[in-house]
Amino acid sequence: MTKRWIGRLTIGFVIILGCLALVFSQENGEDDSVSSSAESSTVLDFTQPIAFPHTIHAGVDQIDCQYCHFSAERSVDAGIPPVSTCMGCHMVIGGSDEVQQAEIQKVRDYWAAKEPIPWVRIYKVADHVHFPHMRHVAANVDCTTCHGEVKEFEVIETVNQPLSMGWCVSCHVEQNVRRDCTVCHY
Amino acid sequence: MNDGLKRRDFLKVVGASGAGAGVLGCSTEKVENLMPYVTPPEEITPGVATWYSTVCGECEAGCGMWVRTQEGRVVKVEGNPNDPVSKGALCSKGHSSLQGLYNPDRFKGPMIREGGQLKPISWVEAEEVLAGHLERADNYYLITGSTGPSLTGLVDSFAGDTGGKILNYNPLDHGPLREASRIVFGRDVVPWYDLGSAKCIISFGADFLDGWLSPLRDSRGFSKMSAVGEGGFKGRFVFAAPRLSLTGQNADEWLPIAPGTEALVALAMANVISGGTAEAGPYQEIVDAHSPEDVAAKAGVSAESIRRAANHLVEDGPSLVLGPGIEGQHRNSTAVNVAVAILNFVAGNVGKTVDYSSPQFGASSRSSSYESMQDAIGDMRTGEVPLVLVHAANPAYALPSTSGFKEAFGQVSFKVSFASAMDETAAMADLILPDRHFLESWGDSSWRSGRFSIQQPAMQPVPHFDSKQVGDVLLSVAENMGVGSGNQSFYEWLRLQWQSKAATEGVSDFEHFWREGLRTGVIDTESESESSSSEALRETDRALVFDSPEFDGEGDLHLMVYPSARFGDGSMNANRPWLQELADPVSKIAWHSWVEMHPDRAESLGVQNGDVLTLSTDYGALEVPAWIYPGIRQDVIALAMGGGHTEAGRFANGNGVNPMDLIPAEVEALSGGLVHFITKVAVTPTDDRYQLASIAGSDVQSNRPITPVVSLEEWTRGTTEHSDEGGHGPLKELQGIGGFVPIETEGLPENFPLDGSKHGEYGKEDEPRWAMAIDLDKCTGCSACVTACQSENNVPWVGESQVAMGRDMGWIRMERYYEAVDATQAGPVDIRFLPMLCQHCNNAPCEPVCPVFATYHTPDGLNAQIYNRCVGTRYCANNCPYKVRVFNWYTFTDEEPVREGLGHIPEPLNWQLNPDVTVRENGVMEKCSFCVHRIRNAQNRAALEDGVLAETDVVTACQQTCAAEAIVFGNIKDPNSKISRISKDQRSYRVLNEITNTQPAVSYLKKVTFHEVVSEGH
Repeated sequence: MTKRWIGRLTIGFVIILGCLALVFSQENGEDDSVSSSAESSTVLDFTQPIAFPHTIHAGVDQIDCQYCHFSAERSVDAGIPPVSTCMGCHMVIGGSDEVQQAEIQKVRDYWAAKEPIPWVRIYKVADHVHFPHMRHVAANVDCTTCHGEVKEFEVIETVNQPLSMGWCVSCHVEQNVRRDCTVCHY
Repeated sequence: MNDGLKRRDFLKVVGASGAGAGVLGCSTEKVENLMPYVTPPEEITPGVATWYSTVCGECEAGCGMWVRTQEGRVVKVEGNPNDPVSKGALCSKGHSSLQGLYNPDRFKGPMIREGGQLKPISWVEAEEVLAGHLERADNYYLITGSTGPSLTGLVDSFAGDTGGKILNYNPLDHGPLREASRIVFGRDVVPWYDLGSAKCIISFGADFLDGWLSPLRDSRGFSKMSAVGEGGFKGRFVFAAPRLSLTGQNADEWLPIAPGTEALVALAMANVISGGTAEAGPYQEIVDAHSPEDVAAKAGVSAESIRRAANHLVEDGPSLVLGPGIEGQHRNSTAVNVAVAILNFVAGNVGKTVDYSSPQFGASSRSSSYESMQDAIGDMRTGEVPLVLVHAANPAYALPSTSGFKEAFGQVSFKVSFASAMDETAAMADLILPDRHFLESWGDSSWRSGRFSIQQPAMQPVPHFDSKQVGDVLLSVAENMGVGSGNQSFYEWLRLQWQSKAATEGVSDFEHFWREGLRTGVIDTESESESSSSEALRETDRALVFDSPEFDGEGDLHLMVYPSARFGDGSMNANRPWLQELADPVSKIAWHSWVEMHPDRAESLGVQNGDVLTLSTDYGALEVPAWIYPGIRQDVIALAMGGGHTEAGRFANGNGVNPMDLIPAEVEALSGGLVHFITKVAVTPTDDRYQLASIAGSDVQSNRPITPVVSLEEWTRGTTEHSDEGGHGPLKELQGIGGFVPIETEGLPENFPLDGSKHGEYGKEDEPRWAMAIDLDKCTGCSACVTACQSENNVPWVGESQVAMGRDMGWIRMERYYEAVDATQAGPVDIRFLPMLCQHCNNAPCEPVCPVFATYHTPDGLNAQIYNRCVGTRYCANNCPYKVRVFNWYTFTDEEPVREGLGHIPEPLNWQLNPDVTVRENGVMEKCSFCVHRIRNAQNRAALEDGVLAETDVVTACQQTCAAEAIVFGNIKDPNSKISRISKDQRSYRVLNEITNTQPAVSYLKKVTFHEVVSEGH
């Protein structure tokens, strides 16, 4: 019984320490970071300016990922579609219900004002990682491998793959490709 | 789990409690935006660089440039490989043009002076004000620096239409050279020099490697002639001048002739060569009257040395004699250049290595003599001049203060400046119409008669600054005034000029011609010159004095004022931290001024390095710290231009002194040029000392095998086997003592990776192995590689106080060792340059000591540094025998400095940062990475294309910029690659390898000397 209580006390102690460390460590971050706790919904707001549904575009309409994310096959960046790409269809397609029409009108407003749509970034690796999209596309790694089944998400809020280094490296090991540090870190 | 807490459970729990913030799964501590294009430009792919050809505007040489842009932002400049001048190379000034483009101190918009203060106004208003003044003024001056042919044409016609008088002002004017060319060959031109074709070069002070006429052309040519060639031939370079500039340090022999005696020595050499024949035409009598014996005493060198040098000129084939540079421009400079022209003629060089028929700059070049500037100053002083416009010039800084320019300029009723950033002249202006930087401008340049480059903007104007091209302003003002041709923009004017030019060339499809010109960066037309194979010497129509001139002042110490190797005249490029922090190639000093003094003179005055001295002439006095330099005559001291700014911006102001305050503003009688080498100087030590920020460690090798050389004779005789042992064999000695058993290897690529050093190398069989070789026989020490690397790799600048502490952060540095330099008599010069960068040692001492494995050896042969893993122990730097690892003691990459004076990157200088390379913060170690980002990019591109990585696909930044082509880089495992051949060359060695057994991947090729090296220090 003693051992069990010592174990539980230790776990509890560690959890408390961990939470405290978490709270205090955030204050040393960059000026514009906001301290977050286990409840992430408090301050960071990842709402997109336009409620773009991949379910319709990639799902129902089966538009290829690279139709919009056009530079994935030849650049390190996958590319965000320029407003002109959206307008290519939405010049004509106005939406079938009020909600859709309101959102599509926003696209047309941006186009009319010649302003870029300020999308919020969801998928990101750290600044010190150089991730080349074109190598992975050329290696026939499907977009869904890392980005998940995007066509099933109404709104992309979370990243359902870890995108952590260990996760990347495990795939590199599995596929038996280069995995020394300077392949990504330089 | 009744038996207690297991380790895995413990870790799981700890992990879970820390996972709270990780809900989003990625490093999103903040909300970031992704901004798409509205309508994407066709030529831009996000993440892929777009390149543009243009031409550099930093000096008159007009080297072609390739500009790399990412998403419409200029991030790097390189030389244009198609350009016959630069051939892909670029000097430090060229690289620093990025800091000129993103200079945080550029004017934010037009400004007008009201109540003594400059206040912003709109362009419309500013142009109206200018038009108004132009209309009211019946005459005015337009002071302009060098501009390309089209802009020059526009300025000419504008001035003609509006009653303006043009003064071309170039602080480093070549008036005496042009006048001499006119006297001797009837052509008022700067001839074209071809150093690469010469077998022997004698320079009477022309500093062609770090300035003068065309540093890249001449570095390339010099390297070609001076490095040992296939046939075992090595060109000889003799330097005859009172002071060894960087160019002089590359000489094989130094004739330390007395100040002002260049003409005598040149005539004496002509005397030796012409030897009684009538080759010197109308000058034969003068030549005959100056034998080496006649001039030796005055020149301070032996007759025998003059005779020997002269004989070299005719021994092996075409040679080349170059006149003095700006620093040696004294009262009889034109005569010196005439003597040099005579010598070239008698040696048979004219038409071969020096060409007057197809000269530099072409017919579009012109320059006003300083004499006309002096007249203008006199005019301005009367207060009768209503208007002066100043463009691309900073005479308030660059002219001697005794010229009275500032006072006279102050008397002008209305002063207009087109400067893009504040400078001393703009500080006095009433109206400022900021010009654009050349990287944002249209224009053209003629670097040689008949050869042109179009200058095109590589990006939209930097949005922080509301600037307008001066050509556009003039056209708009002309329109306003109802004069001029009615063109809307300078771009249209430029195209019109080119349309008519193309028409005379018989071009039918102008659009194709124009696009090809923009794409390749080079336009060749029919040469505008008369071809002439036989020039003949003409009799002089001016009175020439070949004797040494009078110097003002008393005593025996002469003052030399020389253009800085980093800044040139420094009038408009001093506000660049890269240039300020670049160690001067001669003195290795950064940020501050220094005065060079011979050790004997210093001893007699009781002066040590860093002692502050008062220099006084009849014209001014300055306080400046001393730097002791054996490469200068005992009776000469020297000061570099470019310091002492007061109004040039936050990085330039307050650094050093302006030597132009010490010399008078005197006109050279024959050419009308400004005399620089004119006065003696009195030196008084003060009680102060100044810690000069120098990156020099040791000036001598102290018996260490750092830069061994091989004499030409030994090399010609030598074996073809690669020899890595320098003859010491300390490794073998250590083995005898016991306890240390090094890995024996020949250092050949087959041996790598070494047994026992393979920790963590999980590579594939077909991995390349990267290696580098640097040919020290070609390296001139110009340090362009340092700036190129800094630009490419986001290497921070740290500020003077940190450099003084030895915390300079260059990834590559130019070391310089003295072996033989004697200012008292003619003799061999042996000064050795060593570009030192991370050697990527196969047996690296830095790798095993990192506690977190942040540095390790990659399968492709690089010593990698992983910034995010580094915790800043600095043990690796401690262990490195080459001391090439540098540590970020502070964060040098924020908008504000961590502490005053420390390096930082204020907006918009951060626009220059290379997106391919991580930007480091404090606590992280960094060093040369062999441009690993370029290697990875090339591998990525090759994977997309054909999977084959060709030798020319990977070029490091330092290799690319070297005009001397001293650096070779590549895959040493490929038997066909240049690097694998060169590393087996008999001159190849590795620095300190015998002592440390680090087995570097960087090998050096020994410099070849004409003289036998006798000292034990190799």
